[in-house]
Amino acid sequence: MAKLIMTADDSASVRQMVAFTLKQNGYDVVEAVDGKDALNKLNVQKVDMLLTDLNMPNMDGIGLIKGVRAGALNKFIPIVMLTTESQDSRKAEGKAAGATGWIVKPFKPEQLIAVVKKVLG
Amino acid sequence: MEQAIATYKEEAGELLAELETSLLELEETPEDNDLINRVFRAMHTIKGSGAMFGFDEIATFTHEVETVFDMVRNGKMTVTKRLLDLTLKSRDHIAYLLGCPIGEEVDRSPGDEIISGLRQLVPQLEMPQKGSTEVPAINLPGLSEEELSNECTWRIRFRPLPNILICGTNPISLINELRELGTAHVVAQFDEIPQIDELVAENCYIYWDIILTTSRGEDAIKDVFIFVEDDCDIKIELIDKSGLIDRDEGYKKLGDILVERGDLSPVEMQKVLMLQKRFGELLVEQGIVSPEKVQSALVEQQHVKGVRKERGEAPQAEAAASIRVPAERLDQLINLVGEMVTVQAHLTQVSMAGGDPTFIAISEEVERLTNELRDTALNIRMLPIGSTFSKFKRLVRDLSSELGKEIDMETFGGDTELDKTVIEKLNDPLVHIIRNSIDHGIEMPEARKAAGKPSNGTVYLGAEHSGDSVLITIRDNGGGLDRDTIRAKAIEKGLISATAEISDREIYAQIFAPGFSTAAKVTSVSGRGVGMDVVKRGIDGLRGSISVDSVRGTGTTITLKIPLTLAIIDSLLVKIGKDHFVLPLAAIEECVELTREDIKNSHGRNLANVRGVIIPYIPLRQHFLITDQRPEIEQIVIADIHGTKVGFVVDHVVGEHQTVIKSLGKMYRDVRGVSGATILGDGTVALILDMGVLLQSVEELENAGV
Amino acid sequence: MSVAGITETVQYLTFKLADEIFALDVAKVREILEITNITKVPQTPDFMRGVINLRGSVVPVIDMRLKFGMSATEQTVNTCIIVVEVNMDGDTTILGALADSVQEVVEMEPESIEAAPHIGARLNTDFIKGMGKVDSRFVMILDIDKVFSSNELADLGQGSQSSDKF
Repeated sequence: MAKLIMTADDSASVRQMVAFTLKQNGYDVVEAVDGKDALNKLNVQKVDMLLTDLNMPNMDGIGLIKGVRAGALNKFIPIVMLTTESQDSRKAEGKAAGATGWIVKPFKPEQLIAVVKKVLG
Repeated sequence: MEQAIATYKEEAGELLAELETSLLELEETPEDNDLINRVFRAMHTIKGSGAMFGFDEIATFTHEVETVFDMVRNGKMTVTKRLLDLTLKSRDHIAYLLGCPIGEEVDRSPGDEIISGLRQLVPQLEMPQKGSTEVPAINLPGLSEEELSNECTWRIRFRPLPNILICGTNPISLINELRELGTAHVVAQFDEIPQIDELVAENCYIYWDIILTTSRGEDAIKDVFIFVEDDCDIKIELIDKSGLIDRDEGYKKLGDILVERGDLSPVEMQKVLMLQKRFGELLVEQGIVSPEKVQSALVEQQHVKGVRKERGEAPQAEAAASIRVPAERLDQLINLVGEMVTVQAHLTQVSMAGGDPTFIAISEEVERLTNELRDTALNIRMLPIGSTFSKFKRLVRDLSSELGKEIDMETFGGDTELDKTVIEKLNDPLVHIIRNSIDHGIEMPEARKAAGKPSNGTVYLGAEHSGDSVLITIRDNGGGLDRDTIRAKAIEKGLISATAEISDREIYAQIFAPGFSTAAKVTSVSGRGVGMDVVKRGIDGLRGSISVDSVRGTGTTITLKIPLTLAIIDSLLVKIGKDHFVLPLAAIEECVELTREDIKNSHGRNLANVRGVIIPYIPLRQHFLITDQRPEIEQIVIADIHGTKVGFVVDHVVGEHQTVIKSLGKMYRDVRGVSGATILGDGTVALILDMGVLLQSVEELENAGV
Repeated sequence: MSVAGITETVQYLTFKLADEIFALDVAKVREILEITNITKVPQTPDFMRGVINLRGSVVPVIDMRLKFGMSATEQTVNTCIIVVEVNMDGDTTILGALADSVQEVVEMEPESIEAAPHIGARLNTDFIKGMGKVDSRFVMILDIDKVFSSNELADLGQGSQSSDKF
């Protein structure tokens, strides 16, 4: 069965690009428009992995990661942050919050897939 | 993807509008940090996404502006009217760039002007010499790694922090990634698992020793741990290199390994050595080192010994594993084996006639060896059919997108082995059949949906063994064949009689008739038949057969039955008059006598009663117009042809025969019922009969009312 | 030069079919065999006599007398099979041609070869490259590729039709 991956990003274009790339590679995708939306969905839906932007309105990526790790349903899933080069400190913050890995924006579809494959094992 | 690009453009448009508002507000309140941050973030998003969607011009340009605002944000610059002017101009330039199609030349001059203007505003020391959006992405295994030709063996101790699981990392998948790099031996260490009352179920207390031999460098190993290097204790040590001059197969002593790893102190080692027992056992007995650690060190010892041994033997071992041989040399070998089989048949004949037991024994020994030689030689040419399958995946992909159809391809049994020549000759027929499935079989997505089917069509390509043949199945879940149209067309063409009661299968088989394809109307209506006679000829050339099954609206299945090899078959040698013929043994079930009495009792119909079962037969003597004296008692060779039992009447059954198949050449290519020839022990030529085609041609004659 | 396509002095193998002498470019001839056991392939025209074993290869044999409208070749001590290389639709094929007897190898200059007469010849003139003269006797130089072109062998299918009854 195809693995289900959530992409949380306030930018519709990034979400679409991520979703498109993942679907092309045989994954199923659920989208969330910000941290709050993502956490609400993750409280009721089991996914195999979360890809999250760090800068989002309502709840940012760090808050989302903490929320997921504190929850029950998706507590142990791999979480990959989408960061930018200027956010090294944020990356460390994300790791401390419980992120599994990161991918630096801008990235190419094949880089995304390589990271997804890596953390999904 | 196009949709995502369009969305990006929309988003960027909104961001630019927001940027404009923020800039105008900033003019009123230049100290407002919130506004400055908003400007920065807008630029940042435009840049980051721009690079991802191929808007490199935007990314490069915006990066410059963003850098300036980063300084403003950090208090290194102040907001001035000039800065706001330039930034507003930047907004316009980005809007212009957004409108340019990707990949086309753009007018850079306004952008360059803005950038040089911005640079003038920046305090000299702060401005980096050259802006760049080239962000080094993480080092992904296999992407940036340059392969080293030298194999090295590494000792890796991977000790994750207890919270690794809650960070979503599965340590096992990391170890599996290491395994993919080369040859690995893994030993888990359990000595840090606490007592049950202290144990936190969500924590990971296990750590691992991995001995890995790989030609990829240390960086490839580090890349495996890229996400966890900060919260894991990872030790990577080089312990063996292929370049080592020391070809000694031996390796360090157990104690030395443990000391090197820090699992044992040199003093402790000396103490234990004094006891003169097996060192590992002693260490465990004495409670100095845990059994797992000793185990791990032993594994390292074995692993490196193994690697070194293999290396020592490498030149020979490689040569023995596989060699490349020109195909024509193999063909020559098969030809020689073929001649050998022929000569051996002669030898057997002569030895039996002579009756000398020693001679017969030798001849039997030669026969055994020849058979083995034949099987081995034929085996050499066997290749898995899978390599061709992948080519067809490409074909399906290209053709379906060209036609605007959504088609998946599924394959099965790619490891099924077939003679190399057979695989080569299968290529064209398969291309034809698959093309037809895609072109005419699978409907357009809308039509599929309308018919209540999933919009994705599927073409299934499978191979499997079946006796001495391979069955190749090409199935689609498309519209299926139109039985009535095909039947009407076949009657019109005089291929079948209008009154004949024939099965669906036989009707579908008409699509393979030569000339059937030329009718464009049938093609478009029935959805099949473009040059299928070419397919038929190709498969006939392989001594194979084709059958078609189809359900209207549900799909079509074409099954090819292909003999494993073209070169040599087991067969039955028979005689009619003075001529010898060969019948492939695979389909033959039994031989029974046919007496004059039997013929009289069947009242002119060619039917024989075999243990109560009525079996129709073909008198080959009459069929081939052989005119000399007919024997009193004839033989019926009963064969199973596609599930139908049919007898072939011959004068006399000589016996089983190893038949080396020879082509009859171009001149006899159109002769029906004869698939080739073979040379008998006495040097004469015997014809190989194709029982399936013989049956078919007789049926056709009957249908035609002859 | 009297015949288009013949520009060089060439050696020819001459042979007899009934009383007439024919010639073949020696470059086309591989070898000459004594008559051997020919296996008839059922449902083929009479002029296709069958196949023989030529050192492990199966080679078809044509009765040229039947092909040229004469009576069938009768086996004598002189009957032989001329093995020729024929260019059939672009591929080189090995064929055997039955002849009543093989004569000799002669040289003929292009000047001594004339175009085949369109009337008076019993043969389809398409098969004849030209007429040469050896010892004051006329020799018909065969265009062996044309004799064995696939068109000429196409009546094979009809042959099988008529004999398909039993």
